[in-house]
Amino acid sequence: MKRHIVLAGITAIGLALTATVAMAQASDSVLAQARAEGLIGEQADGYLGFVPGATISADLRGRVDQNNIQRRQLYTRRATERGVAVNEMAAAVACEVFQRPRIAMGERYRNETGQWRQRTAGAPIEVPSFCGE
Amino acid sequence: MRAQMLTSLGAAIFAAGCIPVQIQAPDEPIEINLNVNIRQEVIVRLERDAAELLDQNSELFGGTP
Repeated sequence: MKRHIVLAGITAIGLALTATVAMAQASDSVLAQARAEGLIGEQADGYLGFVPGATISADLRGRVDQNNIQRRQLYTRRATERGVAVNEMAAAVACEVFQRPRIAMGERYRNETGQWRQRTAGAPIEVPSFCGE
Repeated sequence: MRAQMLTSLGAAIFAAGCIPVQIQAPDEPIEINLNVNIRQEVIVRLERDAAELLDQNSELFGGTP
């Protein structure tokens, strides 16, 4: 009897984990597609943003907001550890995103001055001025 | 005599101090922007942390280049 309960518990935890991972992956692919379609993009402030004029579904908006909330949690935790402002930690991550870059060819991004640009073969990504070399 | 000279010299210096000097303010407001450097310094210092955050949370950011 006891063993059954334990087994059921383990199964439930396993199912919950699988569901969480599956949901995260589903969100990944939705966001990836929206990026590729130019609906959303990376911003110089370290968060995802909506491209002006794009039609954003409620579902997509929710996923982007959720993603940004998770980012903010990460930034806040690390900023507290290092004794810096959250927006500074966020900007440092943005530098990595813009410099590595984690913006694929054809994707849109928002530069330091707030303008939306598209990464094309002919136009190098406009890296924010506050980033190092 | 000497005392008189010193007094008049003092008066001259005093008078010179009172000459109105017109300083024209520049049209553009003077802006001292210290924020940029400080910020950049902090952000450069955070580079390793930023790279780590990105690597450990790949699923939150775009695909690998």
